[in-house]
Amino acid sequence: MHGWIGTILRVNLTTGSVSREPLDPAMAKAYIGARGLGTKVLFDEVDARVDPLAPENKLIFVSGPLTGTYAPSGGRYEVVTKGALTGAIAAANSGGTWGPALKYAGYDLVILEGKAAHPVYLWIKDGAAELRNATHLWGKTVPDTTDAVRAETDEDAKVACIGPAGEHQVLFACIMNDMHRSAGRSGVGAVMGSKNLKAIAVVGGGTVTCADTDAFASAVMQVREKILAHPVGGTGLRLYGTDVLVNILNQIGGHPTRNFQDGYFPTADKIGGESLSAKVLQRPKGCFACIISCGRVTKVSHPKYAGEGEGPEYETAWGFGSDCGVDDLDAVTKANYYCNEYGLDTITMGATVACAMELYERGLITPKDTGGLALEFGNAEAMVEATRLTAQGDGFGQKLALGSYRLAAAYGHPELSMTVKKQEMPAYDPRAIQGIGLNYATANCGAAHVRGYTISPEVLGTPIKVNKDAIEGKPELVIQFQNLTAALDASGACLFTTFGIGADELAALLSAATGVEYSTADFLKCGDRIWNLERLFNLKAGLNAKDDSLPPRILEEPLKSGASKGSVSRFPEMLPTYYQLRGWDAAGVPTPAKLQALGLVAERAVSGSLA
Amino acid sequence: MGKMLMIQADKCTGCHNCALACSMTHEQSFRLPAARLHVYTWEREGFSVPMMCQHCSDAPCIPVCTPHAMTRDPVTGWVTLDQAKCIGCKMCVLACPFGNAAWDAVSNKILKCDYCGGDPACATFCPTHAIEWVDDVVATRARKRAFAAKFKMAFAE
Amino acid sequence: MKIRYFATLRDVTHKTEEDCAPGAVTVGDLLRDLVGRYGHTFEQLVLENGKLRFALVLVNGQDVREQQGLQTPLAPDDTVVMIPPVGGG
Repeated sequence: MHGWIGTILRVNLTTGSVSREPLDPAMAKAYIGARGLGTKVLFDEVDARVDPLAPENKLIFVSGPLTGTYAPSGGRYEVVTKGALTGAIAAANSGGTWGPALKYAGYDLVILEGKAAHPVYLWIKDGAAELRNATHLWGKTVPDTTDAVRAETDEDAKVACIGPAGEHQVLFACIMNDMHRSAGRSGVGAVMGSKNLKAIAVVGGGTVTCADTDAFASAVMQVREKILAHPVGGTGLRLYGTDVLVNILNQIGGHPTRNFQDGYFPTADKIGGESLSAKVLQRPKGCFACIISCGRVTKVSHPKYAGEGEGPEYETAWGFGSDCGVDDLDAVTKANYYCNEYGLDTITMGATVACAMELYERGLITPKDTGGLALEFGNAEAMVEATRLTAQGDGFGQKLALGSYRLAAAYGHPELSMTVKKQEMPAYDPRAIQGIGLNYATANCGAAHVRGYTISPEVLGTPIKVNKDAIEGKPELVIQFQNLTAALDASGACLFTTFGIGADELAALLSAATGVEYSTADFLKCGDRIWNLERLFNLKAGLNAKDDSLPPRILEEPLKSGASKGSVSRFPEMLPTYYQLRGWDAAGVPTPAKLQALGLVAERAVSGSLA
Repeated sequence: MGKMLMIQADKCTGCHNCALACSMTHEQSFRLPAARLHVYTWEREGFSVPMMCQHCSDAPCIPVCTPHAMTRDPVTGWVTLDQAKCIGCKMCVLACPFGNAAWDAVSNKILKCDYCGGDPACATFCPTHAIEWVDDVVATRARKRAFAAKFKMAFAE
Repeated sequence: MKIRYFATLRDVTHKTEEDCAPGAVTVGDLLRDLVGRYGHTFEQLVLENGKLRFALVLVNGQDVREQQGLQTPLAPDDTVVMIPPVGGG
């Protein structure tokens, strides 16, 4: 095979057995790789009704066919499982260099099943794989784990691991790789912790080949030019990082503030990309094969919040900043470092603290509950302390570790949790931007911006400007973005390549790399197939149309200030059209005709009775 | 007046585009050990730097090469490896103080940067100009100027 | 009229905001004045071949690409925000 390696590693943590299997070319062709292939394997091998933290759940690490080549910004991998936070399908995407290393070590995918009797790590070197004792690593932070594993394996090994948060099965624990990159959402780290798996270290001198080297090289040169010519991917992200979005969203009035109580934060500039570059940035960083370099190597010198690492990204600066009413960049950066070191999703962490602050503001949570911590909006110290407590599993942090939905529900007010499918909405207010709200509500993994990033046309105006307040045409737009993104994720490319290129170029790269002819339509159809398979998994897991929703605040409470003052989300008006255009019935279930067209007839049978 | 590869390590993002381009150019596939250059990354510090043959004026790899496979090209001044004469004794690997000559067990040869014959792929592919193919006379001027600018800022009213 | 600058426009103008004497009738007029003052780099950040494309220009919070583009009228007490196309994610 070309692009793909053609081999799967299967690891049974219960028995300790490790085995290799060939990758089925037909499955690879239909699902491409990464998110697609991972979803297919999960669907086939795991009963969707399983408890995410039970041994019967499986954890799948999978790279794409472009991963390990020089397809620009094409070095990503995905972690696919049933999410601990959501009870829905989880696919967490990450960059860095781990994904390529897995391919150089001889594998496209690793399937982890069962549960080890004691902490272990998986060590893969040039095709050989073994489980090793990790009892001495349990309790270590992500940086310390990375260094320790390398010291006992290979100095060039790339390490993906959980921190103490994953070990404690914090419902939104993440998996980190390359010390600072995150497979962030839905609690994939908790699943890894539930299996007693501390880390996966990979190294290898293997080869990734192309079917048509000249065509691939030529396609790559064209893609490079297009990405570099676009101001966002070519210059802007390297200068300011994603955090430059703070001021952009704030100025259009869609920057959620104080647990989505408003959409404008007056002092947001202090935590935006301009301030980050001036105050804490050391240098930009790029993932494997990346030409965009949006990563931020940063350092906080202020003794109160001293630390170093990478980030914050936009969602992180928002979550710990504006969503908590905090405008202290050093504090926000420190909270970000805690999450990276202990292995926590920054979006859920920040939004959970924000939810707790609203509960505290209303007197539902008291200083007695919090052990004296004054969880008030704007209290930077309390925000950082709440994060530290959650990371280290102490005091009130143990309650925050449930995520905002279960926290708010425990205090009798689940409607104060700004979540969809129990996953916190990221940093774009659906009342100011109609399309993104439809995406949040329908994304199969729960509220997530990257699943269908309509912010590009609705706010940034790329590739073209679309009216953010209109609902006409939004179902089509959201579906288009969702399908394209699913196929893009499956290929191993980074979402940010879409500042510059689209499905045409990605299909051409994929065809030249793999030797499988993907037309643009084929490529997008793969995305549609992946989306529908995720949907079938969720339906079997017990989710349905009522889970495609937005919190009441977003539907009923107009924004109070800023450029989008007075607006609410008109999501309910868009949902029926969305279902229809997706080829689903009024209950949001894919019709037999739709599934037939995508080749998912057998899968429909597995899903059981859905009508 | 010749050319050289100028490395500005503070611009390196650790992306490995250089190594991938090198591997592709020389072997038409992606295999990091096939690259004639390597990128070293320190994750805690967030620092990376690419390393390749510097084509030293007084190259230790040349005198130790008994079959005279490693020589200096009289026209370009580059340290050139003739694979046909190489006996694979690896004395050059021992001699290079920078570790920039390497033995590759997969292809069974010594790997050493050859400037891609005058159009180094690494410099073409580097997205941040951390590696540049520059005239060896003015090579340091940009860095000198950048640093001199700091004096200008320090003394500005 | 108040103008707010973000990202690379702050580096070019050396300001985060400024008060502008009301005189410009449309957004296009205002940009012409500013380009005259700040030069070619400013123009390249906001316009592409003389047209608005990816840059955000907001008048009282509303994107002029939703209105009449460069012909969008300006009133003396308006606030204009200018953000070059630098961000996403």
